[in-house]
Amino acid sequence: MFQSSSTFHKLSRILMAPKPQRRRHFVGSSLDSGVKRARTISILTSSDAATGGDSESSSSSLMKEAFSQYAQYLNDLNDKRERVVKASRDITMNSKKVIFQVHRLNKYNKGEVLEKAEKDLAAVREQHILRLVQELQGTDFWKLRRAYSPGVQEYVEAATLCNFCKGGTLLNLDEINATLLPLNDPSFEPLQINVLDYLLGLADLTGELMRLAIGRISDGELELAEKICKFVREIYRMLTVIAPEMDDSSDMKTKMDTMLQSVMKIENACFSVHVRGSEYVPLLGSADPSYSLLGVSDFDQ
Amino acid sequence: MTTTTGGEGEGELHASLPRSPTSCEKLEKQLEDFRNHLKDSGSLRQRIRGVATEIESTTGLIHSSLLLVHQTSFPIAEVLVKEKGQINVLRELFSRLSEIIGEFPGQYYRYHGDWRSETQTVVSLLAFMHWLEMGTLLLHAEAEEKLGLNSVEFGLDVEDYLIGICFMSNELPRYVVNQVTAGDYDCPCKVLKFLTDLHASFRMLNLRNDFLRKKFDGMKYKGGGSLL
Repeated sequence: MFQSSSTFHKLSRILMAPKPQRRRHFVGSSLDSGVKRARTISILTSSDAATGGDSESSSSSLMKEAFSQYAQYLNDLNDKRERVVKASRDITMNSKKVIFQVHRLNKYNKGEVLEKAEKDLAAVREQHILRLVQELQGTDFWKLRRAYSPGVQEYVEAATLCNFCKGGTLLNLDEINATLLPLNDPSFEPLQINVLDYLLGLADLTGELMRLAIGRISDGELELAEKICKFVREIYRMLTVIAPEMDDSSDMKTKMDTMLQSVMKIENACFSVHVRGSEYVPLLGSADPSYSLLGVSDFDQ
Repeated sequence: MTTTTGGEGEGELHASLPRSPTSCEKLEKQLEDFRNHLKDSGSLRQRIRGVATEIESTTGLIHSSLLLVHQTSFPIAEVLVKEKGQINVLRELFSRLSEIIGEFPGQYYRYHGDWRSETQTVVSLLAFMHWLEMGTLLLHAEAEEKLGLNSVEFGLDVEDYLIGICFMSNELPRYVVNQVTAGDYDCPCKVLKFLTDLHASFRMLNLRNDFLRKKFDGMKYKGGGSLL
């Protein structure tokens, strides 16, 4: 945790170790002797300060010395956090591009569009997630979670969206993590996305699927829209069970509300098409899709 | 709803879609795994919160008897001797915390929020006691030493330490006022020197716009303002 001062710690631990035990024996004795003994010890802990004879000035230089260590620790930590935030932003930006790429899909270009999306996704891993691996070793993985979490969530969203469009199934956490393993330099611990970020990313996925479903309906791909509807319902059901158990569930709660909105928008769109199918048919393949017929007047794109 | 698990009906329903029943089973399996994981995490947090609550009530005791130093008729030495016993209680509690976290290597910071503020209070009380006794600042290594912690297994977070020190410096102006009332006219100079040094030391840090920064800014007004 505080690597730079480990020798300092060791020294002070050796010097100060007997103190608590001896103190217990001296509980009844006067405080003065305790002060004197401890003061000599505190001078000994710093080899530089020992040269100054005056205890007043040595205590303030001890303080300065200790604070320069804290300053170093904070500088290193802030630099690292800054690098992680930058990597996270790049991951977000490029994952968003992948998501837009997936939205360009239609029944004619599916293979081509998804192939490019997957290639871009691999590039996100190799260029940006790789940068996180070396920064998030040991306890830093959880310490800096807030710095990298948005990027990782966006990546989960892009990866699961791609996978759904390709095979119609949900990409598991284990499967995502397996794709991150090749990034590893053998000298580092592998970076593995944690359950919380995965679930938060999944919650965002439903918003994208809603856009996709509405877009597909307007292109007349009703079957795909119904498939999305089923899939989104299952995700919502799954997260309903899990959300209350999550570490800080407030973030997840707002996402659950948004998710329900998305699920209902898809359901209503499917419903409108189902009920008013005959009115809808002439629009199929139209270059200017009119959403008003879909009963989703509040749909924002 | 067509979201029931397994069964023949499920298979027929999905027959026209590329989705296979195995993907549904996979989803259920993952759901189960997540639930177990999060349940374990939740019960761990409850254990941590349990210890943190005990730390909080111990610091409450220490704080209330430390307030006796403002009643200057009370000999400080006597107050401090009594507090030494409470420090052992704190050591015991922190070793329990360390044991709990030790079961989950690398996850110190996952649950850090659950004992953070209690730890900051502990640091501020220890530092105040240390200052009353020695007239010097309790350093990070010394605070760890007092609590029986070490940075390898379960350390004292440096930011928590610094925040605790800020809290402690807020106690000093009140102490000075009461000491002067009781006739100790050297006290203000001593405290001013100490706070000036401490303030200068804090200015060595490059702080971000976070909690610590706010506390430090507070120190300038509360500590410095009433003295300078």
